[in-house]
Amino acid sequence: MKERMPNSSALMKQEFLKKWIKGLQIYSSFKKEMTIFERKKAIKLSADVAIASTRNASTHWSRALMSDVSTDDANHAAKIVVAQISGRKVEKYSSSKGLMMTCSNKILRRSRVASRCRRTRGVGTSVKARSIARKVVKNRTRVLKSLVPGGQEMDGVCLIKETLDYIASLRVQVDVMRHLAAAAERLDPPQRSIL
Amino acid sequence: MEPKAEATQPHFRSGEMGFGLDEIHSLISGPPETGRNSFTALLELPPPQAVQLLVKEDFPAKHLPPPIFPSNIGLIDRASKRSFFASADNPPASNTILLASSSMKVEIVKQEPTDSQPHPNSASPAVSDQSPKSGKRKEREKKVKESNKKSKKVVANEASEDGGKKLPYVHVRARRGQATDSHSLAERARREKINARMKLLQELVPGCNKISGTAMVLDEIINHVQALQRQVEFLSMRLAAVNPRIDFNLDALLAAESGSSIDNDYMGMFTPTIWPEGQINGNRQLEYQQLWQGDELRQPGWSREEDTPNFITPETSHLSYDSSANSAPLHSSQLKMEL
Repeated sequence: MKERMPNSSALMKQEFLKKWIKGLQIYSSFKKEMTIFERKKAIKLSADVAIASTRNASTHWSRALMSDVSTDDANHAAKIVVAQISGRKVEKYSSSKGLMMTCSNKILRRSRVASRCRRTRGVGTSVKARSIARKVVKNRTRVLKSLVPGGQEMDGVCLIKETLDYIASLRVQVDVMRHLAAAAERLDPPQRSIL
Repeated sequence: MEPKAEATQPHFRSGEMGFGLDEIHSLISGPPETGRNSFTALLELPPPQAVQLLVKEDFPAKHLPPPIFPSNIGLIDRASKRSFFASADNPPASNTILLASSSMKVEIVKQEPTDSQPHPNSASPAVSDQSPKSGKRKEREKKVKESNKKSKKVVANEASEDGGKKLPYVHVRARRGQATDSHSLAERARREKINARMKLLQELVPGCNKISGTAMVLDEIINHVQALQRQVEFLSMRLAAVNPRIDFNLDALLAAESGSSIDNDYMGMFTPTIWPEGQINGNRQLEYQQLWQGDELRQPGWSREEDTPNFITPETSHLSYDSSANSAPLHSSQLKMEL
């Protein structure tokens, strides 16, 4: 069923798994007893940080993900996890230009809306289809930006590049987690009570 | 899924380089060196002058975006030119290493009329990655034939070119009858970049190959990303529900490793070279060793237990790790008894 896996994806999976387990151990040392929801959050967060750090901050989304986690003040364990797993200083991931970019994006958006209103008033029906298509694409691009971490500050080209990488990393993450979940369930059938 | 995930790694990397090349080419829309089509002009020039024109050591380097193999691109460009001007003087030493690659480029370039679609994002090595681009450069002699083709490669049109007379390594050109001012050229370059990347995405996302049109493809991509994110959520919930402790994973993996197909991925994991660092890992290593010696499992203690004066040195544990596949069934039964 499964052919011999090529080395690079296997390496990535190994790296992700290592880092993820490391994060989980930090969490378990931090808090002895956790509810199921806290556990789930811990698992997910460790996994996200792990998959982002396999990119070594070379992509926008990984940097944004790391900075999101580390700037969340309510979650001290998360910061420790990030620091440990990435091996770098936490401050490195904070995007200083985030604020500037959001301001400039707002200005851009306002000017674009104004120009669009001005433009479409004098336009005939022949180009309506094109403008509709463009609107659709713009809407979808906006949704995609909201999905990819750190997407708000990317332009079209960068966004697609980052999406590519993000999808590949998500796949790795899902793959590893699924195997682990299957293995764990095989080993120890889950109890029915949610505790 | 996995081969695709793996294939995207080189895809992405060479996509980066394609990205860089596009940028280079759009940036190097500088003033022409000669007043005519530079390829034919270079041919007419006597060899030393042609070589001089080609030896523009700094020119490409200045305009290259820093992160993406700048020297490689510049050198390969020059090397490809050298392969054409074989009668030229001895190429500088820096290009000799690329002569092998450039000879490959020559063959590919010669086939370029048939290669109508550049594949900047194929998994082929760096050199052949750039060969479609060099093909574009050399296409001036075929412009009459190509100008009627609606291909992605833009074709030179002398009549409508104003800033279009470029050095051989620039490839953004105006299609027949299209505007050639710098704005639209940049727009076109940008659009082509985006389209190239969208093609990559289409290959990556399953089911996107048959769809045409940016909006639909984007829709599929959004669905795919959302589905993956949801899967992560569900899986983490599943994992949280399985076991009251969240660092149970290791023994589960050990047990699973015996029977499942994740062997290929995770076999390498359990060699202790990977756990050199940290007290945590040291303890985990200890736990492994105790497992495999058949000692009693320290169930509470995947965590801090320090009293281990007699655990094996890493070298011997290497051996025991390597035999993990054989001894895994034994471990799984041990674990089951334990749990």
